[in-house]
Amino acid sequence: MTPRRILVVEDNPLNLKLVRDVLQFAGYDVIEAQSGEEGLRVAQQDPPDLVLMDLQLPGIDGTETLRRMREGSLGRDVPVVAVTAFAMAEDRERAALAGFDGFVEKPISVRELPGQVEAFMNRRAG
Amino acid sequence: MDAAGFRTLLSTPMILQDEVVGVLSMWRTDVKPFDDRERELLEEFAAQGAIALRLESRGAELGSKVAQLEALREVGEAVGSSLDRDEVLDRIVSNAVRLTGTDGGSIMEYDESDDSFYVRATFGSSPDLVEQLRAITIRRDSTLVGRAALAHRPLEVPDLAQAELDPHLEILFRDGWRSVLAVPMLRGDKIVGVLVIRRRSTGAFPPDMTELLQTFASQSTLAIVNARLFGELQTKTKELEIASQHKSDFLASMSHELRTPLNAVIGFSEVLLDRMFGEINERQDEYLRDILNSGRHLLELLNEILDLSKVEAGQMVLEPSTFGVGSALDYTLTMVRERATRHAIAVTVEVADGVDTVMADELRFKQVVLNLLSNAVKFTPDGGSVSVRAYREETDLVVTVTDSGIGVPPEDQERIFESFQQGRRGAPKEEGTGLGLTLSRRIVGLFGGRMWLESTPGVGSTFGFSVADALERTDEVASPEHGGLPVVVLVDDDRASLDLLSAYLDGSPTQVMRARDGVEALEIVRKVLPAAVVLEIELPQLDGWEVLAALKADPTTAAIPVVIASAVDDRPRGLALGADEVLRKPIRRDELVDALRHVGALTSESS
Repeated sequence: MTPRRILVVEDNPLNLKLVRDVLQFAGYDVIEAQSGEEGLRVAQQDPPDLVLMDLQLPGIDGTETLRRMREGSLGRDVPVVAVTAFAMAEDRERAALAGFDGFVEKPISVRELPGQVEAFMNRRAG
Repeated sequence: MDAAGFRTLLSTPMILQDEVVGVLSMWRTDVKPFDDRERELLEEFAAQGAIALRLESRGAELGSKVAQLEALREVGEAVGSSLDRDEVLDRIVSNAVRLTGTDGGSIMEYDESDDSFYVRATFGSSPDLVEQLRAITIRRDSTLVGRAALAHRPLEVPDLAQAELDPHLEILFRDGWRSVLAVPMLRGDKIVGVLVIRRRSTGAFPPDMTELLQTFASQSTLAIVNARLFGELQTKTKELEIASQHKSDFLASMSHELRTPLNAVIGFSEVLLDRMFGEINERQDEYLRDILNSGRHLLELLNEILDLSKVEAGQMVLEPSTFGVGSALDYTLTMVRERATRHAIAVTVEVADGVDTVMADELRFKQVVLNLLSNAVKFTPDGGSVSVRAYREETDLVVTVTDSGIGVPPEDQERIFESFQQGRRGAPKEEGTGLGLTLSRRIVGLFGGRMWLESTPGVGSTFGFSVADALERTDEVASPEHGGLPVVVLVDDDRASLDLLSAYLDGSPTQVMRARDGVEALEIVRKVLPAAVVLEIELPQLDGWEVLAALKADPTTAAIPVVIASAVDDRPRGLALGADEVLRKPIRRDELVDALRHVGALTSESS
């Protein structure tokens, strides 16, 4: 079975590296994007099994990127998970309304992230 | 008198206090001199008459004084109650004109920046005149108005036809005015403006009128000064609001900027500590733990600063929900258990009967309890004890945390709630942000409660707080029509899912309550008897199947419709257990709304 592919959209290079390394260690294939625009391009070329996206991005933000992804080639069945700051209740609400399939709270927990990601994919796959 | 046929006449002056106030005369139509007695009588009558006359004129004077006082009172009230400057000035000038029996007037405000006067209010003036008056600049150095202000005393022109006319007087003259009085409005030595009173007839202005107008002038001064102060206050308030908004924005963005690198610090430390990429030695392990703990500490500090600034800016938004008090306390206990065990501190939780659930912001409630609890554990020596109690005081929920720690001396018991004061409790080596108690007390304030401390040094401390329970209060009007709207209880252990489902129902005519586990779900449903329950299957404590079975087995809750909303796909089992609808996650808004309509929790015309 080929490893499942996760697109990580995160503008901070260190955090991107951290998430990439942890997910790769857990056995996933990771594709990186540092902006919403880049994320859209990558998702278009090669649709992933799950998208993990920061809400605050330079250029078009996470919410707008999600909207364009859903309009584009990314199917309804690919879960898109928002990465939000713990203290920002309003972010969560905004993201829920925008149609994200779930949240991962920042700071991400290295120990829990692979499990969280797996759960989101299984929820979709049923 | 001849014509009237008078032949003999006696007149006597009516004198009162050496002042002649009139003359009293008597006469006869035949010639017969008046005798002494008659003369005396007449003088007596004249004296009486003089008093009567004086009284009458006093009465009239009194009447006009009363009218003056009335007018001044009205003006005074206007000045005191209304801060709309033009409205107040309009009233002053109209009262001044009416009371002095003159024909018109205006109030000019002095503008220091260009050394000129500008019309602020007028009375008895045609729109055309008002427009002309507004159009001109009345300089201080070359006008009657300016001279009166400079002289600090009223100046008048009894006949404009005879006077040298400045542009202001020129306009008045052409408009048909014939005499003008200018009364300066002064505040100390400063010129505020001038009250101008005018008549269409010529003639000097009597001194008592001038005096009365000076009272009006000082009222006008007060009105203008008040309005200026109020304007300044408004500007300052606006500036403060903007500054406060800048501060909040700054903190929010700073917090994001700081959080992002901290995320990496914490995350990479964890990666290494978890030996994800190979073994590390003991010292490396120790240093990595130090890095991790410092990172977490910074993050906590950051969150508290951000929270505190939000509370202070009035921007902390509470998200009230109904939750089980017992499970919330248990949750906070798990957060300190490891540390308590390490220091052999016994921690107990005691929930009194009748506490059950509370309606408040669950996350913030836990934050406050956790803060008190971790402080208690921190400041209790090894082998000590900490107990958490929850009970009701009337409708309020009260939570106390008691420790057998070092205690707080009386003089520090209030200070300890101020920022960065934890050092006063001794234990200088202990970590902590010094903001926790300050923040907790502020959050409790938002709950409509208070936070207090009772402590005896050497014996221990009890920190307590109360929560005004919104649920308890509305409970009296009774379910199931909670607060007039049908209640839908959402049961899910995942906060994000709860947020999503709540957001779907936002704007629908329902009231949403939330439960995070099976036990809590049963508690709430039994208490409020909602219009519907939306139930996840994968739940801690009791799973969704057990909750469903328990609800259907209980006659009081059996009729409440249940909508299963879960990733677990077992429609037959759900329907067999008595669920009315089975939805599979991910759920769209229309699916949820349709299901709730179908079970009658939403009316069909609502969307």
